[in-house]
Amino acid sequence: MGLVFTRLFSFFGNKEARILVLGLDNAGKTTILYRLQMGEVVSTIPTIGFNVETVQYNNIKFQVWDLGGQTSIRPYWRCYFPNTQAIIYVVDSSDTDRLVIAREEFHAILEEEELKGAVVLIFANKQDLPGALDDAAVTEALELHKIKNRQWSIFKTSAIKGEGLFEGLDWLSNTLKSGGG
Amino acid sequence: MFSLFYGLWQYMFSKLELHVLILGIDKAGKTTLLEKIKSVYTNIEGLPPDRIVPTVGLNIGRIEVANRKLVFWDLGGQPGLRSIWEKYYEEAHAVVFVVDASSPSRFEDAKSALEKVLRHEDLKGAPLLILANKQDLPEAVSADELAQYLDLKKLDERVYMFESVSAYDGLGIRESAEWLVEVMERSKRTEMLRLRAGAMGPGST
Repeated sequence: MGLVFTRLFSFFGNKEARILVLGLDNAGKTTILYRLQMGEVVSTIPTIGFNVETVQYNNIKFQVWDLGGQTSIRPYWRCYFPNTQAIIYVVDSSDTDRLVIAREEFHAILEEEELKGAVVLIFANKQDLPGALDDAAVTEALELHKIKNRQWSIFKTSAIKGEGLFEGLDWLSNTLKSGGG
Repeated sequence: MFSLFYGLWQYMFSKLELHVLILGIDKAGKTTLLEKIKSVYTNIEGLPPDRIVPTVGLNIGRIEVANRKLVFWDLGGQPGLRSIWEKYYEEAHAVVFVVDASSPSRFEDAKSALEKVLRHEDLKGAPLLILANKQDLPEAVSADELAQYLDLKKLDERVYMFESVSAYDGLGIRESAEWLVEVMERSKRTEMLRLRAGAMGPGST
């Protein structure tokens, strides 16, 4: 799978790039990182108290944290915004109770000035669970149509089974290659 | 004095982005078209057709034609995704409807999708460009033939054109973009959208 990654993301050259993997807790973000087998996932809890997981793949940093919860630490998220080319937003498609929160958090993060240029890939995750909403329904619930100034795409995924992840990343790398948002 | 204001008006208009919505049923070639437009009008090399996958979301292309900034919105055309189209209508200056002219078995589907688009109140007065795409294939019908097949009623009050194109080899792409700019500049809808943008103050889009 490492090879797939080299092919997908080789166009960055030596430029430092960042891809944020975000979503509510328990959406499946860390499982996705492990599934992709890019390398060792390093978990750090800085003194300011929020947990950021990082996988470095060549010059691309994938960084993961949970949205939602404590508002006091949010300003510190901004440390991770510069040079972000893409946001991968992971949603638990079976957790219909929390889709509203997932939507609010999602649109709040898109408002961030330093993330204005980032393209957005949405993983409608946990498709293996009964009652999981499909891509069209998640699109509706997250109000993705409100995004008009950047490219976005949604994919049905099952991180547990490893389904849909590479299709999504394929879209991401194509989009970044052809000029991004 | 008038010419000063007029010049300013012109200048502001040239800064305004014109939004063009690319619609059509799945496999019509919308994204291939967008990529071709991008490679014709920018120095960004568009994706080669064999790398293009079905769109489940929004692709964007920004180009400049005759000093006008155009933003193309390309939306997915699979049946489940068409419900999202209308969310983009209100802000669209014009619509490009792409049809795979080599696939007559899907003309009915294309026709009913297009008719639904045209019925929508939010697209009132929006110029319409219907593309008979895939002219690189021998079995493709021409724009005129497609017009007969689609047999659209009530198009009279709308500015529209049928054009034969190939998103694959680039046939008709420049003609299409130039036509769009020309009709958008003259359209009442552009004026209406411009006034609305102006009323909302600078910085809003």
